Amino acid sequence: MSLIEVKGIRKSFGNNKVLDGINLSVNQGDVTAILGPSGSGKTTLLRCLNFLEKADGGILTFDGVDYDLGRIKHKEIAAIRKKTAFVFQSYELFSNMSALDNVMLGLTIGRGISKEEARKTAMEMLDKVGLSLQADQYPIQLSGGQQQRVAIARAIAMKPEIIYFDEPTSALDPELIGEVLTVIKNLASEGMTMLVVTHELNFARNVSNRVIFMEGGHILEENSSAEFFANPKEERTKEFLKNISSQHDV
Amino acid sequence: MSERIIGILTEGLGKMLLASIKVTIPLTIIGFACAMLIALIMAMVQYAKVPVLSQLSRLYIWVFRGTPLLVQLFLAFYGLPKLGIVLDAFPCAVIVFSLNEGAYCAETMRAALEAVPAGQVEAGYCIGLSYVQIMAKIVLPQAMRTAFPSLSNNLISMLKDTSLAAEITVADMFMAAQKIVGRTYEAFWLYAEVALIYLFYSTILTLIQRRLEKKLSAYNSREAAPGSRRLSNESD
Ligand SMILES: Nc1ncnc2c1ncn2[C@@H]1O[C@H](COP(=O)(O)OP(=O)(O)OP(=O)(O)O)[C@@H](O)[C@H]1O
Ligand SMILES: [Mg+2]
Repeated sequence: MSLIEVKGIRKSFGNNKVLDGINLSVNQGDVTAILGPSGSGKTTLLRCLNFLEKADGGILTFDGVDYDLGRIKHKEIAAIRKKTAFVFQSYELFSNMSALDNVMLGLTIGRGISKEEARKTAMEMLDKVGLSLQADQYPIQLSGGQQQRVAIARAIAMKPEIIYFDEPTSALDPELIGEVLTVIKNLASEGMTMLVVTHELNFARNVSNRVIFMEGGHILEENSSAEFFANPKEERTKEFLKNISSQHDV
Repeated sequence: MSERIIGILTEGLGKMLLASIKVTIPLTIIGFACAMLIALIMAMVQYAKVPVLSQLSRLYIWVFRGTPLLVQLFLAFYGLPKLGIVLDAFPCAVIVFSLNEGAYCAETMRAALEAVPAGQVEAGYCIGLSYVQIMAKIVLPQAMRTAFPSLSNNLISMLKDTSLAAEITVADMFMAAQKIVGRTYEAFWLYAEVALIYLFYSTILTLIQRRLEKKLSAYNSREAAPGSRRLSNESD
């Protein structure tokens, strides 16, 4: 059974139809890469799934429960957010807190877990992303790659059933991309379900098991990642892959 | 300097310090505390875009920043009694200073709240925090840090501006100086003396401000801040 299933999700900004009835399903343990040109609605899709943006309509089935995205209630949003986590392109760490406090906040204040227990969990998570020595540092004292790893630690500390990543490496200097991708890859091997918007074809090829190609608010092609790269069906997909890989060769 | 002037200045110092302790400092502290409370409410109402209240808050700020403080004092103390509202001089001064200062500080705080990156608020929602929790733990602490230098400057200005309260018969430090001048005609020496006492108080405030700013700078500087290293069993 799929962990999440989305049917006919729609979203417009004014006259700009950004998501035009997208259907999508993610199984437990899937690592799904979402590819697509700029402006195709990838970020909007993730934001709607986590209610950072309100969708105009569509049905989300999460763990077998149906939610009407057009008229979702506060309580339902809170219930779904308990099971999800979000990693932003620009990290969005809380700049008034140390790395450790960033990871602890959702546990103590959000979930009401005791400080000692939260601290223990948070330290484990920082250890997992290789940053236990940086626990007391403030975000500004960390490199971009380290900040993004703290953000991932903050996400996994909440024990989500799925993590949404919006271009987690796009803001990073090239030499820092690897350390973040390695962390995501380790999560994948532990069976974490992830939906990852990315421009990293190698990541999509090697880490994800499914690929979705979006354009103009539609899903143009969807396949296992092996098939997607070996035999892209749509002309548009082939063109996109050609363009993006030639950019990488420069 | 003649012995007579030394005598006058010594007497003046005692009276002015006494007036400062009895009036100037309480007026500053109470007025500023109320101003901060007003400013915080006005700024949060605007930040949260609460309908009606946020327009009322804009109106209040517009009126109080757009009219002179001295005129506000006169209107409240000499004008309101014509409408049957009679206030004693000191409470009247506290109210006017709070409202006037509150309008300025509200603008500072609103700007500081809006300077907190929206993405951090979203990150807060994503880890399951409520709006109130996000305000308390993420937005307000950062906004206060941003607003702190301007707010302390406002406090120092307000300390000096309390001398205007003498104009509505509040027996503050400046009024004490004026009274002795009226008796002795030593305008130069006595006004110089009162100026020095204001300078003394504002210098103390500036020094405190610097201290606190250094302490607060922890997450704004790349160097480890003093006291930012914590033992792992210590809680905040
Ligand atoms: N808050 C908003 N208000 C108005 N228009 C928006 C908003 N957010 C996104 N859009 C528009 O929606 C469209 C899709 O944007 P979106 O950010 O989802 O694309 P994307 O696929 O993530 O692109 P990129 O690869 O550049 O990140 C764009 O035309 C964008 O201008
Ligand atoms: Mg995007």
